[in-house]
Amino acid sequence: MIQQFENTYDVTVIGGGPAGLAAAVSAWEVGAKTLLVEREEKLGGILKQCIHDGFGLLMFKQKLTGPEYAQYYIEMLKNTDVNITCSTFVTDINRQDDGIFHLILVTHHGIKHIYTKAIVLATGCRERSAKQIFIHGTRPAGILTAGTAQYYVNILGQMPVKKCVILGSGDIGLIMARRLTLEGAEVEGVYEAKKELGGLLRNYSQCLMDFNIPLHTQTTVTRVFGEKRVSAVEVCSVDENMSRINGSERIIECDSLILSVGLIPENELAEKMNITLDAETKGPAADQCYQTMKDGIFVCGNAFHVNDLVDYVSSGARIAGKCAAKYKKRERRLIPVIHDEKFAYCVPQLIDIDSDQKKADIYFRTKQKEEDKHVTVTSGDNILIAKKYIEMRPSELEHIQIDIDKIEYGNDKIHVKMGKVE
Amino acid sequence: MDLIHKLNKKLDKMFNGSVNAKEENGCVILTGSLNSWDDIVKAGYLAVNKKKYLGVINDIEYTKEPVPGMRLPDLEDKQYDNVKCDVAIIGAGIIGCAIARELARYDLDILLIDKEHDVGMHASSRNDGEIHPGVDLIKGQVKQKYNARGNALYDEISKEMDFKFYRPGQYLCFTKKYMKIICNIARLYWKVMKVPTRYLNKEKLQKRIEGISDDMECAVFFPTAGIVCPYEVTIAYAENACDNKVKLALDTAVTDMEVLDNRILSLNTNRGTIYPKLVINAAGVYADKIAQIANDRFYTIHARKGTNAIFDKKTVKKNRFIVSAFGMSAVKTAHSKGGGILTTADDNMLIGPDAKETFDREDFSTEDINIDQIIQKHKKTLPGLKKSDIIAYYSGIRAATYEEDFVITEGKNTKNIIHVAGIQSPGLTAAPAIAKDVSLTVKKMLSEIMEVKPNADFNPNRKAIPDLARMDEEERDRLIKQNPDYGVIVCRCEEISLGQIKQALSRSVPCDTLDGVKRRVRAGMGRCQGGFCGPLVLKTISKIKNIDYEYVAKKDSQSRILFGKTKKHDTAV
Repeated sequence: MIQQFENTYDVTVIGGGPAGLAAAVSAWEVGAKTLLVEREEKLGGILKQCIHDGFGLLMFKQKLTGPEYAQYYIEMLKNTDVNITCSTFVTDINRQDDGIFHLILVTHHGIKHIYTKAIVLATGCRERSAKQIFIHGTRPAGILTAGTAQYYVNILGQMPVKKCVILGSGDIGLIMARRLTLEGAEVEGVYEAKKELGGLLRNYSQCLMDFNIPLHTQTTVTRVFGEKRVSAVEVCSVDENMSRINGSERIIECDSLILSVGLIPENELAEKMNITLDAETKGPAADQCYQTMKDGIFVCGNAFHVNDLVDYVSSGARIAGKCAAKYKKRERRLIPVIHDEKFAYCVPQLIDIDSDQKKADIYFRTKQKEEDKHVTVTSGDNILIAKKYIEMRPSELEHIQIDIDKIEYGNDKIHVKMGKVE
Repeated sequence: MDLIHKLNKKLDKMFNGSVNAKEENGCVILTGSLNSWDDIVKAGYLAVNKKKYLGVINDIEYTKEPVPGMRLPDLEDKQYDNVKCDVAIIGAGIIGCAIARELARYDLDILLIDKEHDVGMHASSRNDGEIHPGVDLIKGQVKQKYNARGNALYDEISKEMDFKFYRPGQYLCFTKKYMKIICNIARLYWKVMKVPTRYLNKEKLQKRIEGISDDMECAVFFPTAGIVCPYEVTIAYAENACDNKVKLALDTAVTDMEVLDNRILSLNTNRGTIYPKLVINAAGVYADKIAQIANDRFYTIHARKGTNAIFDKKTVKKNRFIVSAFGMSAVKTAHSKGGGILTTADDNMLIGPDAKETFDREDFSTEDINIDQIIQKHKKTLPGLKKSDIIAYYSGIRAATYEEDFVITEGKNTKNIIHVAGIQSPGLTAAPAIAKDVSLTVKKMLSEIMEVKPNADFNPNRKAIPDLARMDEEERDRLIKQNPDYGVIVCRCEEISLGQIKQALSRSVPCDTLDGVKRRVRAGMGRCQGGFCGPLVLKTISKIKNIDYEYVAKKDSQSRILFGKTKKHDTAV
């Protein structure tokens, strides 16, 4: 692990969280001269503050904490000669006429220039803020996202709340409900505007049910009170169209409102480079090699689409890193992957049939809870794979593997369909 | 029939005898009670007669719900007890800070007082930042005079005090071709008013404003319209004032005064009794309350709220502009320009504001309906605006008088006070000119009781905190090599470095809060709204100010972020 860097590389990985770590290791494994750029002081990304367990069940067959999981990869990196630069921020990326990317980095030593053949974007995601979901009323202290609350509790060892309401039932919200309760705070309840839980079922059971924290679905926060510090919030039932049901308002006294209302891929660099984004995932569209619509730029982890297990992030990032290492400019024959409207999204959005990446994991989420359904992936009349699911939930990412060689050449689409089990 | 009698007849008819008017000391005084705030405001407007009266004192009681009073700091100490000064300025908004800076040209003891924990906390940081060309102002208005002069001063003061200032010009668009005739008649008026204009046809308009609605047929262009960041200007003025030895008393609320023989002797505050020779009332929404305790009330402030929304930087267009459409009045009232769309000095798109009368002078809350209204309205001009691109929104309160004009005058009854009140739009534009005039008035008034000498050490220049993300690479690299903290990015959305944050915490106007840092260097102003950098800024404040994490606040000591260490409950026996 080398804490310095030169100026030319085969692969530059942007982001040192779980995706970036796995991508850098696998790029090096196939012989690429690799640079890993991290904007924070330390590697590990958001895993650093996820001190609960449950990471690594698929990857390492054991229950690890976030820092332990990250450490596995950091240890792997130590045995490589991947160059690493922390506290380093990428401000600009340009592609030169010869196809080489030119990156401008801000470091505490000054501005640096890097030249690289391929880029892996592993910039993670950010939390939706109170303003993005149009929380109204006063603007006091005590409105924070679950991730920020997690940083305060787990990294700073400080209590951001005494009595709180949690809006949104995303995983970090559920985890924080338990964490804050364990630290002596009162979590009045978790409120979810949708009909369905936003996070994993295991988190619902382990974080809410085990601690008697009520979950109120189809209920949202409609107003904040308190001028200096939150003094109360108003909650209100909503119908299926998310419109408030008048008369169902209730005022809850509390000192904080914690938000766990969704994650958005951080794709500012991708946008700067005019990479096509998928409106459904909010991340760049990519093929099964994790290569975006711009040749030589790869994407993985939560920057690609928001995953619910870090294990998925690592396995995808390994492929992204490997493919970036092998990247050579050539014409790709890309076939779009389209899906029924019952799916919220489906990745990858494209299949490159000439690639030597002959297996493709199709990851998808449903829009609603589905029971006893077949998911079939077809290419023309050819069924690539069919799988039966007893239950599928919007909060649980599913995946299914297809064989690229089975794709009939000449068919212009790959179709992911859902049907009833007969 | 005398005027008061006539007015009372009208009021009787409107409010069934619940309101009574009388004349006293040259003012109209309204008394009585009503349960509709809008009616109270209506009565106030009805009583206006600028030729005959000094102003309207609207004392009609609002009976529907309690009217919240002035929010007071929770601090009680003797920090400023027995402090004597030549001039006490009450209110550190753009007006108070600009006056302080202009007065610093004289060798005077100046105390700038504000009840908030930072300068510019009310209207001065809650407006859209436009430097107005004077489109809708009328000759004879105080605000018209100061707007014209203030606008012209911005080139100079932005250089002296190193704040961002652009003159992109303002476009007033028309939806009908025949309106060209109206444009040309109006342009004659603006010519008389010395407001430069240009006529633009559809083709030119579309070239200038990317994404403008196809419905806009022509426009009048006002090249003198400008853009600043309003709190940046306020802080720049305050810092330059403090660099030139003005003293700043924050968290200090003037709650009473001792007035004897038509002179203010002292100001009672939560931090002790202050003895000024002269008082400047720049108290914004509370200016009439200050006038009242100074025994010199002849106007009433009624709060008018407006909401603005800010869009993600990615929506910003190539050219800067300020644009509004003529006569599109979803939320326009007689006393508001009805808002517009503009590129802020920090490169976001901004829309707003609307206008709504409110009985609470510090009601900075927001409502979804206001956001929906302003976006619906401005979509007619720029159809590409999307609600999902909004990253922030805020409300401000205009300190309007019923006369709807600035009150800039020496006291009517009390001798040692100057009122600078009723300052609403275009107050930001007018501030530099108002400050120059008021400082001359101060000099004249003080010269009667003391010798007023120039301040030989006065330095009009102030250096801003370096804005590294906007610098060219060489300059940025050079600065990072001088101070490696400039190379550590803390706020990823706005690309703000640790070095800038540390700078913000060590300027002549004290800053020790998250909001204070945000307003000085923009850490937390971006799309994640401080989700990532908030804790890092908190850590930096704790370190630089040597205070525990739990004492770091959002805006003042009553808005702390944290409650202390975890595991506290374990130690309880």
